This record gives sequence, structure tokens and C-alpha cells, in this order.
Amino acid sequence: MRAPALVVLSLLVAGGRLAAQDSQFGIQGLGTPGKQESVRSRSAAGAFAAFDAFSPLMDASLADIRRLSGSVTGATSWRKVPADSGEVTLRGTRFPALVIAGPILRRLSLGGGFATYLDRSYGITTQDTLVIRGDSVPVSDKITNDGGVTDVRIAAGVRVGRALAIGAGIHLLTGSSRIVATRRFTDSTNYRPTTSRDEVAYQGMGASFSALLDVGRDLRLAGWYRADSKLRADLGGRTVAENDLPVSYGSAVLWSPGNQVVFAGSAQWHNWSVAGPGVYAHDTFNWSFGAEIGSVGSPFRIGARGGQLPFGAHGAPSEAGISAGLGRQFAGGRGRIDIGIERLQRKDDRLTEKVWTMLLGVTVRP
Amino acid sequence: MRRLVGTLGLVAAAVTLGCEEQLIAPGDCPDFCPNGQIVLVDTVFTSVIERDSAYRGYVKAYQSAAATATDQPAAQSRPYFKLDQMFTSIRVSAADTTLVPVFADSSRLRLAIVRPDTAAPNLRLQLYALPSTVDTLSTYADLDPYFNGPIVDSVNVSDLRSRPLIGDSATVHAWGDSIRTDSAGHVLIISRVDSTWFIYFSLDTLQAPLAAPDSGRLAFGVRVVADTAVSIALGTNESVSNGPVLEWFYHYTPKDSVNAKSDSTLRAPVFDSFVFDPPNPALDSNLTIGGTPSARSLIRVTVPPALRDSIDVVRATLLLVPVAPVNGLVSDSFHIVARQVTTDLGAKSPLNNEPAGNVVIHPGVADTVRLEITDMVRAWVILDTLTTTAFMLSQVPEANSFTEARFYSSLTPAFRPALHVTFVRRFPFGRP
Repeated sequence: MRAPALVVLSLLVAGGRLAAQDSQFGIQGLGTPGKQESVRSRSAAGAFAAFDAFSPLMDASLADIRRLSGSVTGATSWRKVPADSGEVTLRGTRFPALVIAGPILRRLSLGGGFATYLDRSYGITTQDTLVIRGDSVPVSDKITNDGGVTDVRIAAGVRVGRALAIGAGIHLLTGSSRIVATRRFTDSTNYRPTTSRDEVAYQGMGASFSALLDVGRDLRLAGWYRADSKLRADLGGRTVAENDLPVSYGSAVLWSPGNQVVFAGSAQWHNWSVAGPGVYAHDTFNWSFGAEIGSVGSPFRIGARGGQLPFGAHGAPSEAGISAGLGRQFAGGRGRIDIGIERLQRKDDRLTEKVWTMLLGVTVRP
Repeated sequence: MRRLVGTLGLVAAAVTLGCEEQLIAPGDCPDFCPNGQIVLVDTVFTSVIERDSAYRGYVKAYQSAAATATDQPAAQSRPYFKLDQMFTSIRVSAADTTLVPVFADSSRLRLAIVRPDTAAPNLRLQLYALPSTVDTLSTYADLDPYFNGPIVDSVNVSDLRSRPLIGDSATVHAWGDSIRTDSAGHVLIISRVDSTWFIYFSLDTLQAPLAAPDSGRLAFGVRVVADTAVSIALGTNESVSNGPVLEWFYHYTPKDSVNAKSDSTLRAPVFDSFVFDPPNPALDSNLTIGGTPSARSLIRVTVPPALRDSIDVVRATLLLVPVAPVNGLVSDSFHIVARQVTTDLGAKSPLNNEPAGNVVIHPGVADTVRLEITDMVRAWVILDTLTTTAFMLSQVPEANSFTEARFYSSLTPAFRPALHVTFVRRFPFGRP
């Protein structure tokens, strides 16, 4: 009893804020989709996410957990975006994924946790000159949005044979964002500054299905499917916006030609365009490839990824990145620390955004 | 390897947990800004002011802190005051109840010009003797004969101002400050605190007689003249420190003595006031503000639903159309202030002490008057929607002068008061 409580407590303390890294490309859309990957997976560009029980992407992989375990991911990003005066560096710290899982029967494991579904944290400032009462009045606006949509998952993975594991999960999409819109006037004698603030609550549902198939000793295949309902935005109990959420699916392959090296690759599709034209949504395809080299106790990981982001006024922005990381088991395999670093570049015709992210993951198996 | 991972892990933990967030960047609009924007609306509400009224009688001439003295073609205004009684005999010691007579030697009268008119050339103050029977009900017509009588004393203030400043130690010791003086003994001291001009008249016993039948009471009227139209204001007793003061210099001979003793004593007015001609016209259907006794106008506002639904008011301006330009000279300019009515009881409504807005009214100008009342309207809309949405307009300084402003009321549809409001629409929260 003490060990599970310790796991839950330590992970909850660490998981203060669940969100992914933000992006300017998500401001006009529903947000920036989160990467549902543990540090181990993300250090290899997400290629291992489908096979990693601590990445909230697939439920079937929970079947591989033979002991109560928990894992939390922390990420700090430095993001450079162009501005009139050159470039602005933005910083943000997030805890984008948390998974707790354990077996309840010999072949059945249950798991759950949180992951970022959409990050809606941003702040923008603009300057303008308005003609009010026949005079030109310079104004400066600041709109900040702090929050996002979190994917709360309860899932089960079951091994139905030596080679096949299947899984399913239900997802409650919930969260909120605090929005503050402020306008200040240069002529502060005649015009008072104005601030509007409110908190928007988000709600939605989803379900996911997945399977893992071992083809021989060295090859493993994964496939997953997920359908989400509508994302409802409520303000004071009144629905102010409703957007369809995408159907997503993907597949991955893992090849371990020897004891010291594992390769993986994945592809996934999201039909975000159902979210509606008002949010400039586009379907996306994302791929990744990565390798884990070294012993299970202290591997080195590397990977590359590419694809698109779903929201952009001038078509789907592209995203490409590379990442690397290290892992280390301790306490006889009861704990593991993973660290990683990721470099992403997102761009469209108008804007290029460059991101460095430092990753830290802790996994505990009491 | 273990040490490397441990060290990097600590660094990553420190960076991850210790990083301060910075998410605000200049917006590249419209492509990378939220679809929802802050929207301003600027509109004139022409029919939200109703049941507006004017009332007179708040502050009377003898209650004001200053009194206007003016000489202009369209108006005459003359301050006057009655000084407190002066004793005509004195008890020499506490042990001896015998009274001995007091003989006045001279006196010195101090007047304070709290609102000078520096543009008027050859500005003169003329002092007239008034009967001790004057009171606060005396009218311009009552006093006019005395102002056409002999002048008790006259000082050319413009000339006095041009005189050299005398600041030797003996003078400063006697007067408390550097002075300017003329050959007739008039003295000018300009206050270092508020630039008030203090004028001292030296009066002999013929100019200021100590008359036992009047109990030593003296009354004076003041007239201002210049080579052009002129308007100034004299401080009154209600201003605490700028009222007229007469210092009696007297002597008496104590009992059993042949040597006279000299002394002096100060006398302030029992009241001071002013009279003017022509009198303020009676109140009519327009909104009147100012004059003496002072008039105020009560403005009631029906906050329109469009404002109730808005999230914030950034500017609110009351528009008042004058019936006619205010009568007077440039130096007669005054303020109109708006004060929130805390409970609407009509003319006697209690008011918030803090002015909600003020505007300067210049005589001779016929433009629409714009009074900024943003904070008050904002409070009606946002802070307390149950508050009384009314305010009172009054003159500052009040009842100092004959000047008053008249504006069209809501009974004149074409020129009725209006509220010009710039407000922000409700921000489209929740919409991407």
C-alpha cells in the first residue's frame, strides 16, 4: 500500500502543470497539439512512443507493464519567434505527460494519467493607432491566454497471446484557460485602460484502440486508432464554441537486430480539418524515426521527426526536428531517469519558429 | 556514464523546475493573433439624460470665500464688509475696575486680492465708508449712493506693483516680508505661498473714526477701477486667512498717571459680502450653474442597455450646449465640477466629496462644453449597477461672483445634454 501511494504522490507533486510546448501557430486555432510521449520516446523523436507504456499514445503497450509504475515528463522550452525588433525568446516549463499503470490480472494491466491534448498558453502584444473622436489615439493591446486542454486517460492493455496485445482507453478532455485582454491608451489622461478577464472551460470525450503484434523475436508492429468527439468551450456554464475533434490513427514498427540497438519508426495521421474553417485547421501527417543504442540500463537515444501542425492561416505549417537523450536505471531497475534535448523548427510562408527543449523524465517502479 | 547521466539529470531538473515563464511576444496580426480582438465603440447617447433640473440658493454671497470686485460695461460688483466693534474704554489692571477712555490714533486696513487682474492697466482700489447699518441683505441699490460719495482712500495697485522691493532687515522684521510702498503709505506684500496680494491702507482718524455711538464698528465698501474693464476677487473672512483686517492703533492714560500708553488691536469683519448689478436672472427651463446665491444643476442619467452590456467604459464625456456665452471678463473664468449624487433627493441630494470631473468655463465663449466624467460612468456600468446614476454640476469657486453658465436642458430636444461614451465591447472569450 505504501509503495503505490508513494508513486502517486511523487508523480502528482511533479505534475503541476500539464501542457506541451506552445506555438505561435496555435494561436488562431484550437491550440498546439501535445506530444503524447515520454522523455524516453521523445528523445528518439517519438519513434518509440507506440511501444512505450509510459507514452500515453497507445493503450496496448500497457500490457507490457508487470509491476505498478509511474512516470512523469518535464520539459522546458526556449522558443524564438520573429518580431519587428528582431527575435523574441519565449520560455515555458511544462509537464506534458504523466502515466501510472500496473497489472491487475496476469495478462491485464490498467493504466491512466494525464497528457496534453491542446496547449493554449500564449501572450501577444500589439500596437495600433485608432481614430477616436476625430483624433489619432495610439493604443497597445495585450492578450494573454493561460491554460489548455488535458487528456485524462483510463486505459487497459491485455495480452491475448504470446505475440499479440491489444488495448483500449477512454479519454476525458478537460481543462480551462484564463484569458486576460488589456488595452492601454497613450493618452491616459482622457482614456482609461481597460481589462477584460474570464476563464473558459473545455470539455470533450474520446476513445482509443490499439494493438501490438510481435513478428518474430526482432520485429514488433503497432497500430492505433483514436476518435474524439467535439471540443466544447463553456463560459459561465454557457457553451460559446464547439469544434469537432479529429480521428487519428497511426502505425509503428520496432526492430531490434541485437541486444544493444533498437530502431523504430512511426507514422500518424490526424484529420484536424474537421475542426472547421474558422480555426484554419488542416489534416496532418507526422513521421518519426529513432534509435536506442546501448544497454537497457543506460541507453543513448537519437531520432528525427517531421510533419505538419494542424493550424495555420496559410496552410498547414511544417514541423521538423531532431532529438537525443540518455537514460539511466538505478536502484536495481526500480527507478529510471531520462534526459533529452530536442530541436524543432516550425514554419510556414510567414513565420519560422525555432525551439530548443530540455526534457527530464522520472520513472519509478516501487 | 552513470556520473554523466546524474549530472545532466540534475542540470535538467534545475532548468525544468526553475525556469521563469515568458510567453508574451509582439503579435504578428492578423495571421498569428487571436481571432477575437478588443473592439472599441464610440457613440453619443442623446436621450439618456432626463429629468434634469436647476436649483438656486446653495451658497450665498456672505458665505463665499472670496468676493468679486469688477468694473465692466455689462456688470458692476462691489465687495463690502462690516468690522467687529472696537472698545472705546479700557480697564487698566485686573485689580482696578475703573475704565479709562481709549483714543484712536490711526488704523491700518488689510485687504487681500486673491484673484488679481494683471492685464488691467492702472488698477486702483477705492475704499468707501458705509453706514454701520449695512447687513447681509443690503442690495446693490441700497449701497450705490455710498459708492458715489467721497472716497475714503484709494490705492493704485499697478503703480504699487511697479515700485522697488524693499527688503532690508528692519522692514522684514516689521512686516514679515519684503514690501513695496508708495508715498501715501500704502504697502503691497505678495504672498510667497499662493501669490495673494496683500494691500495695506494707512487710515487716519478722519478716514476711520472710532465713534462711540457705533461701538467702534466700521463698514467699508471696495470698488475697483482701471483704464479698461477689470475684475478681481478679494479674500473674505470665510477664507480664514485672507479676509479684511483692521488694526487699530490707540492710546490711553492710566489712572493716577500722566503718561499715555500706546497699543494696538485687530478687528475682523462680522460679515463680508458683495453686491452686483445686474442681478442674476431667475431660473428657467435651462440648466443654470453658478451665480450668487449659487445655482446647481442636477443631471439624471438612464444608463442605456448598450452600456450595461459593455465590459468597460474607457471615456465618457458630458456634452452641454450653452444658451449664451457666459458674461464676464477672461479673469472671471471658473470651473464647473460634477459630483456624484449618492442618494437622489432632488435639490438636497447628498453629494460625493470627490469631484467626478471638471471643466473650465471661459466667459465669452459659446462652444459646446465637454466635461469628462469617465470614472463615474465607469463605476455605474461596472462596479455597482445599483448606484444612483445622477450627478450635480456646480461652480468652483462657488458664489464668488455674478458669473453663471446656462445650458440647454432636456426640454430643448435639439440642444439637450448628451453623453459621449467610448466603450469596449465584451471580449469574445472562448472563441478561437
